[in-house]
Amino acid sequence: MEDQITRITSRLVVPFIQVYGIYIILHGHLSPGGSFSGGAIFGASLVLVALSFNLEAGSKQIPHNAASVLESGGALGYLITGLVAIALGGYYLSNKAAGFPMGEAGSLFSAGAIFIITLFVGIKVASTIATLFYYIIEGEK
Amino acid sequence: MGFSEHFPALIVVVLFFTAFISPLLYRWARKLAAPAVIAALLAALAMVVVLLIQVQQFGIYYYHMGGWPPPWGIEFKADPLRLYILVVLISVSLWIFIYALRDLGHELKTRVIGWYYTLYSVLVGSMAGIALTNDLFNLFVLMEICAISACAIISIKEDRECLEASFKYLILSAMGTGCFLLGVVMLYMVTGYLNYSFLYQALVEAFDFYPLNIFTAAALFIVAFGTKAALFPLHVWLPDAHASAPSPSSAMLSGLVIKIYAFALFLMFYEVFPRVVLEAVPLSEIVLWLAALGAMFGSIYAMIQTDLKKMLAYSSIAQIAYIFMGIGLHHSLALVGGFYHIMVHAVTKAMLFMVAGVIIYSTGVRRIDQLTGIGKVLPVTMVAFTIGSASMVGIPGTGGLISKWYLALSALEIGRPIFVLVILASSLLNAIYYMPIVINAFMHQDEFKKEVKPVPGIMQLSMVVGMVFIIIFGFFSKPVVTLLEQAAALFF
Repeated sequence: MEDQITRITSRLVVPFIQVYGIYIILHGHLSPGGSFSGGAIFGASLVLVALSFNLEAGSKQIPHNAASVLESGGALGYLITGLVAIALGGYYLSNKAAGFPMGEAGSLFSAGAIFIITLFVGIKVASTIATLFYYIIEGEK
Repeated sequence: MGFSEHFPALIVVVLFFTAFISPLLYRWARKLAAPAVIAALLAALAMVVVLLIQVQQFGIYYYHMGGWPPPWGIEFKADPLRLYILVVLISVSLWIFIYALRDLGHELKTRVIGWYYTLYSVLVGSMAGIALTNDLFNLFVLMEICAISACAIISIKEDRECLEASFKYLILSAMGTGCFLLGVVMLYMVTGYLNYSFLYQALVEAFDFYPLNIFTAAALFIVAFGTKAALFPLHVWLPDAHASAPSPSSAMLSGLVIKIYAFALFLMFYEVFPRVVLEAVPLSEIVLWLAALGAMFGSIYAMIQTDLKKMLAYSSIAQIAYIFMGIGLHHSLALVGGFYHIMVHAVTKAMLFMVAGVIIYSTGVRRIDQLTGIGKVLPVTMVAFTIGSASMVGIPGTGGLISKWYLALSALEIGRPIFVLVILASSLLNAIYYMPIVINAFMHQDEFKKEVKPVPGIMQLSMVVGMVFIIIFGFFSKPVVTLLEQAAALFF
């Protein structure tokens, strides 16, 4: 189904949704929300594109291969951040103790490993939601 | 301790790492996907062995995630018992995986095999975590991961039966986790701790003020782990799930997954709830009698099955009951018996499901009455089945005897010979449904009529390895029993 009104509205709205999602992911360590909510919002924008245009246009936004790389990459990034802490001489998933730069409390680039992990989890959640949606659509065919 | 101090975390991490990298490998470097999983399992096994040696030298070792000390941080504990469980867990899953390399191509579509590797590694990793963790909430999270991946390795076959069975499993196991979470909430409410060791201390005091909360938590834990480990009358999901899954999944689920939950219940009873709680209400007694009923009824249900895999699944209900009996009898010898049975049954039941898988692979037969004369066309397979059955029944020279022996000894030690009778009767029932298959396979005058595909070498080799280990467990039980006796001595 293609409809002029939904198409133009979603074209207008999607960038704002995505920016909002990224904002929530990046501020995960400062404000309510965080990687999961932010990732879900970002993922929802991709679903919106697919719904209001059609599956092909949505797939172009985030192709299957890229989705699975991002999905695996997000989770691997989390694990590797933990391992980096060991390499730096801390314990698994150590943060300040392993020497991650803490920054100034309250500023965007702060909280060391938590900031990095939030970013990875956000990527993982967004790509998982998109992938799940595409799999469900394909299952119906 | 150097680098090896990180091993408790790395055991879990290396498996999860492989899990997430294998879809990528399967997409772009398909040849490397299976070796990567094998390498991860080998690495995990090596780490467990190193830890076991170190723990025996220097004593119990705790690992704090992120360097945060308990009660706030997540703590992993490496003690002889947990490491013993891990050795069994990882070596058996390595063995099943090697068998699965050939069998999966036969049972699954090629495009999902990469996902199967992911699910398999996640499953093993989460079970390793369940065994290692010393924190109730961490346990909850790992149980969820374990439950979802266990359901997924059933439903991955995508036929009607599998979907139905895994849906049933998913619902019941979600109820189990729900009960567990509620129980954790109850304990957290009265103590403010989630760490096992802190809870153990705090519950002694809290028990005077809030006995009802603690009893409720204990009851919820029995239901939660009983459902997940298929303790009789909560076993209803097991037969369908284990019978319809692809054979490697069945071997995994029946051999390891249900046992890890029995082990978790053991940890609750011996490391979380202090003695006063267990003496105030007969919790062990409840588990003990449910186990006794399970040992009988599991075998009785198994007798009336016509499908080979379904029979093996019901037999698991009877066999898991021995492990619960080991927990419920509350005696060090019973623990030795129960834990020895974890190892023996993991190997035996996994091998029997492999045998079932081989029979389905090469002949397509699932019904027990069509197996007459199959011993002449699939000799190695049916010899494996014979040895597996012998171990299930507990015939001398197989591992099954040792665990039943210790269970019976402890029942006599504490003056309750009725459980010796239960063990004996259940063994006889086992013989009633296992032995006719063996006799029909080898001694029936009819020829096997169906067409027979040759069995791949790696599947044969897997079964031979299983047979060898079952016999080793029967004759050389001393080292493991000594290890378990030392471990059990810590609790009495």
